[in-house]
Amino acid sequence: MINTFPPGLIMFLGAFLIPFLPHLTRQIYMIFLVFLSALSLMNGFGTHLTINLLDYDFIIYHSDNLSFPFAIVFHIAAFITIIYGSHKIDWKENVAITSYAGAAIAALHAGDLFTLFVWWEATAFTSVFLILGGNNSRSFRAAFRYIVIQVGSGMLLLAGAIIFLYSNDHANFGKMSIDETSGLLIFLAFGIKAAFPFLNGWLQDTYPEASEVGTVALSSFTTKLAIYALARSFAGVDILIYIGALMTFFPIFFAVIENDLRRVLTYSLNNQLGFMVVAVGIGTELALNGAVAHAFAHIIYKGLLFMSMGAVLYRVGTCKASELGGLFNYMPITAVCSIIGAVSISAFPIFSGFVAKSLIMSSLGYEGLTFIYFMLLFASAGVLHHSGIKIPFFAFFAHNSGLKPKEAPINMIVAMIISSILCVAIGVFPSLFYQILPYDVSYQPYDFSHVLSQMQLLTFAAFAFICLWHFKIYPPELNSTVLNSDWFYRKMIPGVLENVIIGFKNLNSQFNIFFTKIFQNTQKFIDNLMYKNRVFDREAGFDTLIVVQVFGIVLLILIILQFSKF
Amino acid sequence: MTIKLIKNFGKINSIVLLICIILLILEFVGHRHGEFKIEEFLFFPALFGYISCIIIFKVGVALRSIFMRDEDYYD
Repeated sequence: MINTFPPGLIMFLGAFLIPFLPHLTRQIYMIFLVFLSALSLMNGFGTHLTINLLDYDFIIYHSDNLSFPFAIVFHIAAFITIIYGSHKIDWKENVAITSYAGAAIAALHAGDLFTLFVWWEATAFTSVFLILGGNNSRSFRAAFRYIVIQVGSGMLLLAGAIIFLYSNDHANFGKMSIDETSGLLIFLAFGIKAAFPFLNGWLQDTYPEASEVGTVALSSFTTKLAIYALARSFAGVDILIYIGALMTFFPIFFAVIENDLRRVLTYSLNNQLGFMVVAVGIGTELALNGAVAHAFAHIIYKGLLFMSMGAVLYRVGTCKASELGGLFNYMPITAVCSIIGAVSISAFPIFSGFVAKSLIMSSLGYEGLTFIYFMLLFASAGVLHHSGIKIPFFAFFAHNSGLKPKEAPINMIVAMIISSILCVAIGVFPSLFYQILPYDVSYQPYDFSHVLSQMQLLTFAAFAFICLWHFKIYPPELNSTVLNSDWFYRKMIPGVLENVIIGFKNLNSQFNIFFTKIFQNTQKFIDNLMYKNRVFDREAGFDTLIVVQVFGIVLLILIILQFSKF
Repeated sequence: MTIKLIKNFGKINSIVLLICIILLILEFVGHRHGEFKIEEFLFFPALFGYISCIIIFKVGVALRSIFMRDEDYYD
């Protein structure tokens, strides 16, 4: 039985028992579900479960060298997130996290587009409860926007899948072309969840509105599922290189101005997705290894950074850089874990980001993509600026905010320490890490030249920040909202619609005035005709008026018809 | 002079400065090659990192006036 049970499904179904369990049993039960689901990964590669329904074969459980590393890291992320959130007594987020992670893992093992669609939508409907977990009016509104966009992505996927099935007689989840309508629709569906430029607004808009635990879960699954889907279906599609390069480039500037540190991390998440999308676009074995390695390492270090900011939010009640500072003395373990996450994402040698990002940079070098290479190198300095320095510096150092919080709860610390150890372990033992990647490529990230170049790049970028701060050139963080592509559907479209409605209202009142005048004039005319000329011995009433007008119109139509015959 | 520098510039900042100097010296210890020829210019990654960070900061500050709104802009 366990051999044919797809990973993730047990978590998804098992999540519905969570509300009936007491707090501690619930935590153990959720971890047990993750382990049970992970056991299915031992089944090896191949198609393990197909169900025929309505004359269509739903490939429920297919595993291969691409889904395997994603499945491993999704299980790790689920495990860490459950530990991180185990202080919460409320069961609703527990159900959401377990079912959301389960749906994402099951989606990795979908062998056809319709099965993928089911899980694609399941991730949307389960994760929206995490945003609602923010438990205020802002998060409620954000959740509404989130579900509309996520379901929209699912609808595009469904439309693409139907067209694909119609033209190919199968709907296997495999290689596709964007030159076909079906491929283009599916590409857009994946692009929304991968936060392509101008389709990214939902990410920065909604993730920071979730609770401290919810954001950690959200950062792990949806976007990386999209990267996996792109790698499976659109590897080697050139346009992805340029889309990815833009994704790495623009968010860094927005991250610099953003005040909410969790929102800074979502910009950073967008930027990191760009690296993966570029790698998928290159499509060589080395590059795809790079995309998978980066996704793997990224889930852990980004989760760690979100966890550290979540711990700050939990203890202090805010994540705004303008209101934080000097927390190192009160939350030293959280601060150290945050710094480990920061140096990992910045790709300092001996940390996970370095061994993952190097694969992508080298593959760009091998393909001779000079301009893109330097764009990504520039973006690497940007990552250091906003995630490597801004996050830990403004939260734990900078200036004394006067806040004196307690250290994070023990479960949060355990989760952060596990992630920190993984960040270092991946960086120190890259050859072990590379063994789980899809392709057998020999690559050595640690050579004198590579390490020196990276260290010079990062250390001098850090030194530039130090100079800007020390000489008081760096402006203070301000309470503000930074406009992003969500502005189009939060401000512009409602604004345009409002004007259109006002326009229609004005038009309507003009029509009313116009017809009232006609009505009054007709009434006067009939009054004159009938009353003043004593046709009838009384004034023309409303009913008379209508009858006369209808007759008038009928007469007019008859005259026109009569003339049109000639 | 060193003590004066540490006093003025801060302990951690001085350590970063020292690491920067060491990294520049290491350039002469072994051959540093890159993915592209231009990267092999003397101190290229150091200059690239420093200038990139300044550009990001400058552009970021310039964008404040375009993209920054009040905190309750959407409320």
